[in-house]
Amino acid sequence: MTMAPQDFLPGLAGWVATLDDTFPGAWVKPYFAQWEVGHILTLALLGGCSILLNLRLIGYGLTDEPPSAVRRGVLRWLNLGIVGVVLTGLLIGASNAERLYTSEAFTAKMLGLAGALVLTYGVSLPMAKAEGQAGGGVRAAALLGLVLWTASLWVFGISKLINPGVWHVIVAAGLIVLFVTRGLTRIVYVAGALALVIGLLVMNQGVIGADDYARLDPTNKGFAWAFAGWILAAVAVQLITSGRGAEGGAFTKGMAYAAILAWVTTAAAGRWIAFA
Amino acid sequence: MIRDLVVRLSELGRGPGEYDPSWSEQLASTLNVWSLLEGFHVLSLMLFAGTIFLVDFRLLGWSFRKTPISTISDRILPLTVFGFALMVLTGVALFYAKPLLYYHNIWFRLKIAFLIVASVNILAFHFRVQRSRDQWDTAEHPPARVKASAWISLSAWILVITFGRFIAYDWYECGKPLPHWANVAQSCAASEHGAAELGETAK
Repeated sequence: MTMAPQDFLPGLAGWVATLDDTFPGAWVKPYFAQWEVGHILTLALLGGCSILLNLRLIGYGLTDEPPSAVRRGVLRWLNLGIVGVVLTGLLIGASNAERLYTSEAFTAKMLGLAGALVLTYGVSLPMAKAEGQAGGGVRAAALLGLVLWTASLWVFGISKLINPGVWHVIVAAGLIVLFVTRGLTRIVYVAGALALVIGLLVMNQGVIGADDYARLDPTNKGFAWAFAGWILAAVAVQLITSGRGAEGGAFTKGMAYAAILAWVTTAAAGRWIAFA
Repeated sequence: MIRDLVVRLSELGRGPGEYDPSWSEQLASTLNVWSLLEGFHVLSLMLFAGTIFLVDFRLLGWSFRKTPISTISDRILPLTVFGFALMVLTGVALFYAKPLLYYHNIWFRLKIAFLIVASVNILAFHFRVQRSRDQWDTAEHPPARVKASAWISLSAWILVITFGRFIAYDWYECGKPLPHWANVAQSCAASEHGAAELGETAK
């Protein structure tokens, strides 16, 4: 059993096959590369806005301004980025529909997109507006967003050929932790991460031959789990030691991590549509 | 001259056997490493381009108007610089995987040209425009020369990203019948596929 859209929605096959022959798919197809540029530019815009907004909620970056001011500063551009990325995505998707219909990466991407939208509009933006405080509605949205994002990561991780793309999410999480940790936590975190990187390189280039995929596959999956575990431990330490300030505690910061990473997951799965 | 260097780069690490790949060829033929590098290169745009866009928007008076420009620079640019380092590291590795292909690629050449434009603009901003920052640090709409710098930055980075994406397409691949200017612009005559002129093949 695979996780491509065709496995859940077999009835759509006929319609999907017509999409690149009809408007707007047929209209976009000759200019696929140009529309793709629009997709990447709006991705960069929404990514920058999401990073600044959520890093502020974690307590990093534009700390001279309250979270509500950062929200005001990025909101218009975040909206433009999201509308742009969805619109260009629909257009290039319509011109390339059969590829997406059979792609497990596309399933991961759509689950990630749903999670990222819920985490952005239902959690990050309302929390920033309330200076980091979270009400009941935000907590409910957070649960829904986390479920969707986890489902996205699960499809991404269990699907053959695309699962190396999960490394993008792990590395992004690792970089956020690198930015926001301080002092001893940061030193210990970096030392552990470096040891894992060296271990990964030694296993891939020395101990196991670089083309012995049967043995490298479980080894590298083990390393991916070890990296994820190390990063999560560092996040836990950072959330606990930074305590509960006036601008929210562990919940606020944890959800800000999730909001950035849900977008990274969506973008990474999107890129791996073409690689699988 | 430059091509000789690129050829030498592509040959580094080649073994004595007839079919031994060079390091560059090994990187290009990896199962996942090349794809991961390319993915990281694109995803790093969220950090690099996304943050630089917002700094430019502030200089243009489009957002964060109440926040001093120095605050925006001090808080956001470290993230941008880190993102740029990721872009360059992954970009150099990607170039190394297929150096001759990119050397003879018109979009790659245009990308480098606008990368230089963007870099010169950064230097000019840092060492000239920014000297008078005290006068416009808190201005909601900074003076024209500051805005000009932001416009150049925005345009140059958008072009760098656009041409970067076009590198993957073979519209102007050397060896295909191409207009004369394209063969010249990509130095196709020196490439292993040679230069085919569009008009001549028709004759």
